[in-house]
Amino acid sequence: LRKAGQPTWRRSRYMFGMAEKEMEYRVDLFNRLTQTCFDKCVEKRYKEAELNMGENSCIDRCVSKYWQASLLILFLFADSFVYLFNCLKFLQLDFIIA
Amino acid sequence: MDKSMLGDLDGLPEEDKMRMAAMVDQLQIRDSLRMYNSLVERCFTDCVDTFRRKTLDKQEESCVKRCAEKFLKHSMRVGMRFAELNQGVATPD
Repeated sequence: LRKAGQPTWRRSRYMFGMAEKEMEYRVDLFNRLTQTCFDKCVEKRYKEAELNMGENSCIDRCVSKYWQASLLILFLFADSFVYLFNCLKFLQLDFIIA
Repeated sequence: MDKSMLGDLDGLPEEDKMRMAAMVDQLQIRDSLRMYNSLVERCFTDCVDTFRRKTLDKQEESCVKRCAEKFLKHSMRVGMRFAELNQGVATPD
């Protein structure tokens, strides 16, 4: 006899799939952020292996600005992302606002 | 994409239809997240060049907003043309 609604094993498989997508998104965001701020802030001549003071503050500010830009775009398309958020509602959404 | 393959989906058992739907769901999520991430990267790269402060100034903010909206419109237009070509419709010069 089939119970009404999805059985728990199927729901948890769906959750695993969504958790995978969330993880991918986070890793992708981090990688792009890292690449972008390296391109923007680090001199390509590589005179030394250490980051200098200027590069350090540039990196800090770059990360902060990148984060701000990502939230800006997120809220711009809040309506388009409603479907996305609904599918991800199994997970805690703090990863977006974190 | 082969149209005949999608036509056969109706004949699948219920279980497979649900798995198919879940798969399409997740692919759509993945695609949306990827698009969002590459959009943020592109607009940040094109609009932000100075790092004297840790917050975006007004110019950078409006640049990012305009970039994002423009990309979305571009994406929709590409989708439109793509659909036309998929259906074998004659496209303008």
